[in-house]
Amino acid sequence: MSEFFQLIVSGLSTGSIYALAAVGFTLLWQASQTINFAQGEFVMLPAFLVLALSVKLGFPLWLAMPLAIILAVLILGVLFKRLVVEPMIKHGTLPLVIATIALGVLLKEMVKEFYSPLGQPFPSLFPQDVVTIFGAVISIPDIANFVIAMGAIVALQLFLGGTRTGRSMQATAQNPDVAQILGVDIKRMVLYTFMINGALAAIASILITPIYLAKFSNGETLGLIAFIAAIVGGFNQIRGALVGGLLIGIIDNLSATYVSAEYRQALPLILLIVIILIRPQGLLGTSEGRTV
Amino acid sequence: MLELKDIYGGYGKITILNGTSFKIPRASITTVIGPNGAGKSTVFKAIFGLLNIHSGQILLEGTDVTGRTPKQMIDAGVTYVPQGRNVVPQLSVYHNLELGGITARDQRKLRDRIEQVMDQFPMLREFRNRKAVELSGGQQKQLEVARALLLDPKLMLVDEPSIGLSPNLVKDVFRTLQDLRDQGVTILMVEQNAKSALAVSDYGLVLELGQARMHDEAAKLLADPRVGHLFLGGHIDEEETA
Repeated sequence: MSEFFQLIVSGLSTGSIYALAAVGFTLLWQASQTINFAQGEFVMLPAFLVLALSVKLGFPLWLAMPLAIILAVLILGVLFKRLVVEPMIKHGTLPLVIATIALGVLLKEMVKEFYSPLGQPFPSLFPQDVVTIFGAVISIPDIANFVIAMGAIVALQLFLGGTRTGRSMQATAQNPDVAQILGVDIKRMVLYTFMINGALAAIASILITPIYLAKFSNGETLGLIAFIAAIVGGFNQIRGALVGGLLIGIIDNLSATYVSAEYRQALPLILLIVIILIRPQGLLGTSEGRTV
Repeated sequence: MLELKDIYGGYGKITILNGTSFKIPRASITTVIGPNGAGKSTVFKAIFGLLNIHSGQILLEGTDVTGRTPKQMIDAGVTYVPQGRNVVPQLSVYHNLELGGITARDQRKLRDRIEQVMDQFPMLREFRNRKAVELSGGQQKQLEVARALLLDPKLMLVDEPSIGLSPNLVKDVFRTLQDLRDQGVTILMVEQNAKSALAVSDYGLVLELGQARMHDEAAKLLADPRVGHLFLGGHIDEEETA
């Protein structure tokens, strides 16, 4: 029983990090019909920004991490929108999707070429201690990751619902024509969305990389999981992406212990197939969320 | 109040407005009628800065506002209620109203103004915390009209307010527009439902192939056999009145 509890907690922990990537994925889709297949690489890259700043340039870690988040907001947010999305979206969703796939490959190969093809150790923000709760041994990084990732998502929700800018962003996502005739600066709202995605990816990167090593190929699984989590949750809402992320985290952890570590990577895909078969609109999705 | 001078414009390379010219006076209701594809909605988009205008001039109270953005038109005192459903579905009624004043500088004044508008439309106060998508079609249209009033516009562009509404609700919407006119607001409206719209209007404007073919007092247009003829598919090839 205590082992089960342990697995659930650590599943929620990784799941909440998956959710960060999935929420960003969903936001981009809502705001600009961008299906970002480079999302996994967006989570891979900021860890290398941290390493470049701290190991190569000698910045202390406490400075390197916030700087990396700011750089991610600029590169993965602003530059991504300006250089990839804006020129491609004119030609339709599919060319843009293909461009994001290409971008993913480019980022991966660049890190491999210019940083290192080998896994790099990545510092953890938290002591590797454990605490015992109800007989279950829970690691402090697990708790901290969960708190930070959930905190970021809750803060995002509060921003979107509780501020005028947030509500203008929602209006832009739900009905851009109306937002425009009311005088909302929709271009700026879409830009904010891209910047938020950059920040979410960077936070996810800093939290998840200590669990593995920083490696150019880290995005392959992460991107797939973010995509699946977003679809499982319903693709058009933040809560759905959150539930999808947490669910995959838990299933991932339980299956590695109770089923087989070999099938671990297949399970999110099986979950995707099952959900698409029995509930194509996703767990929390409505059959057609967008109004015209 | 508003004057269009020889406007040519359209979407991309397609020209819809072929020299549209007309003038409407302050504190009046003018209904634009005409066959499908005549460019009725396009005129509104041209005025509100949502269209490529190739040539011509739009004057608002004597000021040239040609080619301004929607935001600039709002700042100049124009609001636009487009055809169809135009609410933000997942936001509350209150927050939808608030978006109508997103461009306002004084947010405290805006909150008072929202209260006033909710006094005018008690239904909105009752449902203020509901999501807009949960309102009926008629209620959503009221929300849209109320939202367009928040900034005390001088000119309202209202496109097909009666679509999808029951006859009673159409009457309500028309009565609201007449009240606004009495308060000094100028209203330019497009209506498919030409007869009942002209009945509540001061002036009527017949648009055909992107040109204003007739422009007269609403009552005179209602009595004009050529107007009926036009809606049966004919053309006006006698004298042109502008």
